Amino acid sequence: MTVVAAGVVAGGALIGGLISSSAARKEARRKEAQARRMNAKLENLEANRQEIINPFAGIQDLSSMLSNPFATLGVATQAAEMKIEQADISLANTLDTIRSTGASAGGATALAQAALQSKKGVAANIEQQEAQNQKLRVQGEQTLQRQQMAEQQRLQQADVSGEQFVFGQQENREMQQLNRLANQIGALRGQAAAANQSATAAMTGAISAATTSLGAGIAANEG
Amino acid sequence: MKDKINTMKDKNIKVNLFIKHMNQSDAMAYNMEYVAARTVSEFGILNKTYQGSGRLYAKLKTAIDNNTCSSPACEWEVAQLRRLESAPKKSLDFLSNVMAQLNVTDDKNYDVCQNSAYTVAHQIMTKRPGFGKNEGYNVAVNLLEDGSQEILFEGPFFEKPLIINSTTLEGLLNAQSNLVATTPDINKEMLALLSELGIMEAESNNPETGELTPQAKISDEFVLKNSDGSYDYEIVEIGNGKGRNILKFDLDKIMRKANPFINAEVAGLLSSEQETVAAWNVFLAQESSIAEDDQMVQNANAGYLTWDYEEVLPLSQEHKITFEQKYKDYFYNNYLLQFTKNQLPTVSADAAVFDLEEGKQKQAQAFLDRNPAN
Repeated sequence: MTVVAAGVVAGGALIGGLISSSAARKEARRKEAQARRMNAKLENLEANRQEIINPFAGIQDLSSMLSNPFATLGVATQAAEMKIEQADISLANTLDTIRSTGASAGGATALAQAALQSKKGVAANIEQQEAQNQKLRVQGEQTLQRQQMAEQQRLQQADVSGEQFVFGQQENREMQQLNRLANQIGALRGQAAAANQSATAAMTGAISAATTSLGAGIAANEG
Repeated sequence: MKDKINTMKDKNIKVNLFIKHMNQSDAMAYNMEYVAARTVSEFGILNKTYQGSGRLYAKLKTAIDNNTCSSPACEWEVAQLRRLESAPKKSLDFLSNVMAQLNVTDDKNYDVCQNSAYTVAHQIMTKRPGFGKNEGYNVAVNLLEDGSQEILFEGPFFEKPLIINSTTLEGLLNAQSNLVATTPDINKEMLALLSELGIMEAESNNPETGELTPQAKISDEFVLKNSDGSYDYEIVEIGNGKGRNILKFDLDKIMRKANPFINAEVAGLLSSEQETVAAWNVFLAQESSIAEDDQMVQNANAGYLTWDYEEVLPLSQEHKITFEQKYKDYFYNNYLLQFTKNQLPTVSADAAVFDLEEGKQKQAQAFLDRNPAN
C-alpha cells in the first residue's frame, strides 16, 4: 500500500470516526437536555403541589364547655326560713290557745323552749347542708380538673396524630415523585453517558485505524 | 436595528428552507450540468492546519535538547511543544463538537429561523451536492497562538466567513448552551403528558409502554351528569332530521386537574430558553394543528410571528407567560379536544340515533321533571 493510498484509508477512517463520534455527542447532549428539562419539571411539581390537609386541624379545645355543676349549689335556706316561720306561727297559735283557755305561765315557757329547739334543729340542718355542698363542690372540682386534663391530652394526641399524618402523606408523595422522576432522570443521564462513551470509542477507533493504515503505508513505501 | 434583524430573519428562513427543499427533492440528481461537472468535496480540513508543524516541532525539540532556546529556561519553547503535541487530539475533539452542533440542522423539527450559516456549514461538512470546493466553498482549521483552534467556513452562501473558536465553543457547551438550538419534540411530549394528567380511565394506558391506547377515554368523573345521576347529554344534529346524544365534559374540572402538570412541563421547557424559542417558532407561534405542523416543518414557517433568538434571549417574563398560554392552548386544541368532542354515550341505549325534534322535546321534558316549578 502506498502512502497516498494509506492516507486515503486513514482519512476515510478518520472522517467515519468523526461522523460517528459527533452523532454520539449530539445524542448525549440531547439526553442531557432532556434530563435537565425533567429535573426542572420535578422541581416545579414539588414546589407547587397541593397542601395536604390535616384532618385533625379542626379539632377545638372543648374544656371551656365543661363546668362544675355543684359550684353554684345554694343552701336551701328558704325552706329553713319557712320551717322557722312555721315554728313561730305554731308557737303564736299555741300561745293564743293558752291565753284563751287560761293555761299557766309554765306551759308557755315549755312551749317557748320547744320552739327554740325547733329553730336549733333548723340551724343544724343548714350546717349539714353546707357541709354536704362543700363536699360536692370539691368533688365536682376534682372531676372538672380530670376532664379538662383528659381534653388537653386528647388535643395533644390529635395534634401529634395530625402531624404524623401530614408527614406520612408528604413523605409518601415526595418519595413517589422523587423515585419516578429521579429514575427517569437517572436513565437519561445513563443514556447520555453511554452516548459519550460511544463518542470517545468512535474517536479512539478512528485515530487507531488512521495510525495503523498510515504506518502500514509508510512501511510499504519504505519497503 | 429591528429592520436589520427582520432582514436577517427573512434571509435565514429563505436559505434554510431552500437547502431543506433541495435535500428533500433530490433536485441535484436531475441537474445534468451538475452531474457532468467534476465535483470536489474533499476539503482536507486538517491538511493546512498541520502544514509545517513537523518542522516547527523538530526546531523546538532541538532548541530544548541543545539548550539554545530564546526564552529563559525554555519556557516558551516547552509551551509551544506541548501545544503542538496536544493539538491533533484537540482538533479531532473540536471537529467532533462542531459536527455534533451542525448536525442539529438536519433534524426534522429544526427551526429555520436560526442562523442559516450553520446549515450551509453542515452541507459542506457532510459533502452534500452543491457545496463542494468547485462551487466555491472551503473549510479549514487553524491553530492559534493561545493554544485554541478555529474552524473557518467560506463560500457563496456566507455573507462573511463563519468562524467558530474551539475554546469559546467548549465554554458554551460546558454552560449547557448550544450554537444551534434543538427543537423539543412537543408532540411526543404532549402525548406523554396526556397520560400523566390522571384524567383518563385507568385502562387507557398501555401498562408496558405507559402510552395511551387507541381505546383511551376520559374518566367518568369528568363527565357532566344531572342531579339524578343520569348523563347530561348534548344533542347534535346528524342530518335528515336525526340526532344523537354526545357526552358533555366538566372542562373546568379537567383543566384544574391538568394545570399543575402542564405548568411543570412548561417549566421544564423553559429551563432551556433557546429550545423554548425553537418550540415557539416551530409549533406554537402559528396556532397550527398537528397536521399543519407536519407541513410546517416541511416547507413553511410562522413568519413574522416567530421570535428572533438574538432579540428575545434572555426571555422576558412577558414572553414566558405568552409561551405558557400558547402551550396550554395548543395542548387543549390538539390533544385534549379529541377526547372531549363528539364522544358518544357509554350507555348503549343512549347512543342510538333518534328523531331530532322528538329527542329535544324528550330532553326538555326530562329537565322539567327534574326541576319542577314549585
